[in-house]
Amino acid sequence: MTLLHCLILAFILFTIGIFGVLTNRHLIGMLISIEIMLNAANINFVAFAYFKAQDPTAGTLFSIFSIAITACEMAVALAILIAMYRKHHSLDVNTQEINHE
Amino acid sequence: MIAIIPDILLLLFPFLMLAFKLFLTQAQTAHKNFAFAYLFILLICQNFVLIGDTQVYFSNWQIDTFGIFMREIFTLSALLALLLSENYFKHSMSEKPKLFHFSEFAASIGFATFGGVVVVSANDLLTLFLGLELATIPMYALVAWNKRDSEGTEAAIKYILMGSVATAFELFGFSYLYGFAGHLTFPEIAQALQTNQASPLIWISVLFIISGIGFKMTLFPFHLWAPDVYEGAPTPVTAILSVTSKSIAIAFLTVLVFGPLNAIHQEIVPFLALLAGITLLAGNLGALSQSKLRRFMAFSSISQAGYILIALLGNSPEGKYAIIYYLFLYTFSNYLAFFIFSTISKDQSETFISLNGLSEKSKFLAIALLIALMSLAGIPPLAGFFGKLQIFTAAAENKHYFLILFAVLNNVLALYYYIQVLKSAWIDKPAKEIALSVSTKQKTIILILTLSVLLLGFLPFLSNNLSIALL
Repeated sequence: MTLLHCLILAFILFTIGIFGVLTNRHLIGMLISIEIMLNAANINFVAFAYFKAQDPTAGTLFSIFSIAITACEMAVALAILIAMYRKHHSLDVNTQEINHE
Repeated sequence: MIAIIPDILLLLFPFLMLAFKLFLTQAQTAHKNFAFAYLFILLICQNFVLIGDTQVYFSNWQIDTFGIFMREIFTLSALLALLLSENYFKHSMSEKPKLFHFSEFAASIGFATFGGVVVVSANDLLTLFLGLELATIPMYALVAWNKRDSEGTEAAIKYILMGSVATAFELFGFSYLYGFAGHLTFPEIAQALQTNQASPLIWISVLFIISGIGFKMTLFPFHLWAPDVYEGAPTPVTAILSVTSKSIAIAFLTVLVFGPLNAIHQEIVPFLALLAGITLLAGNLGALSQSKLRRFMAFSSISQAGYILIALLGNSPEGKYAIIYYLFLYTFSNYLAFFIFSTISKDQSETFISLNGLSEKSKFLAIALLIALMSLAGIPPLAGFFGKLQIFTAAAENKHYFLILFAVLNNVLALYYYIQVLKSAWIDKPAKEIALSVSTKQKTIILILTLSVLLLGFLPFLSNNLSIALL
């Protein structure tokens, strides 16, 4: 396993995440796709820290911090989703539009 | 050691508000007055921080002149947003249910403001990232503050999905920047950029970072969330989104472009110039055909972001100075407009039609609206003109004449839609009479803001002092 393998894996995960956000019609699915994108960046950080960087502690720390931040972000997102579910009784983006009309 | 005290006081503010809510449940008005007084005193404290050499605390908390001025802008914006929100907690406004939980609202605004402070004091990528997230996560909650308003929840969903994707882009860009430099601190990244420039890794990284921050700053291809979110959010939150959130994004770009990425500034500039030009045009074209005031302000603030981006094409001290001056007058003018919109929207929604007949009901409000919008449009004796002048001067030093010409021509477009708002306030007759009720407090705030916009324009020596401090 080399640095290149990890970078390619991270890039593929990031692309899967973008594809998921664009095509998923369910809000939870979109959140999961976003999580995949964020974790792809974390893989990058850890890979660079392990193979290349002069300052490896900083990179690993960054990934830990970003995991914590992501958790906060998802907590807020889920809170908003619950508020939405109480209004519309659905988390599907397509049916949202119909309800709104 | 003195300079860090206002930052600590600002960090204490949200915790104090939450503690008050817990332990002093009865005194509702006391909460509000405490919040206003605290932020006002904080603003005065920040003015007394001596401007001088860069001071560094705890190895990566860096306070420089740019940071001090940005702190004042953030605190001012938080104070004005809280003052604006007061009526929205009293009764239903703009045909939306009334808001609840003032203390938590103020605490969220306090956290977001502190996030901005972290961004301008950052000395490494990790602190910068944490600051930006601290500034955005409370914003998501603020947009959804009105749980019973389904429009607000929908807007918040849009905002948080877009914002999280933007965060992922930024993080991905940061990871490549870290891989390129091998360090996270700014001086070491700058050094790595000077020694080996021609790596494709750095270009991918810059591309990701700029598209990530482009979402938050509402630059052209990423601006589409702004009108929906600005319209769905409660009006005070719209105001704080258009001022604090935007200034934090601009501060973030300024810190990066004039800091670690300064070595490749000349190579990033064409890209920024392209973004600025298209953003201006997209914002202006979008604003032409609006009928709702908050949607209109969203497009207006998109084009303002384009103007501010032009200042980044200049060199370090002049560009930073232009950005600070413009953000000050943008804060004053924007909040002035929002305060006037809040006075007319007690029993009706915020549209161009509800402005009709404003000049007959209250000459004072109509003139204040005139000053706010003319300042945003950049008409000479007002502050907006001098702000745009500074921005164009900064860009002209690096010979970006074509972009400046394009921006000036765009201003004509901008003038058209700002005058449309004034037309509905001054000329159009109202269909039915709705009485206007403006409290003395609101009148005082509007008067102070109007005077500030006028003075910033009429007394250019104020801005000269600023430039002497910075240059």
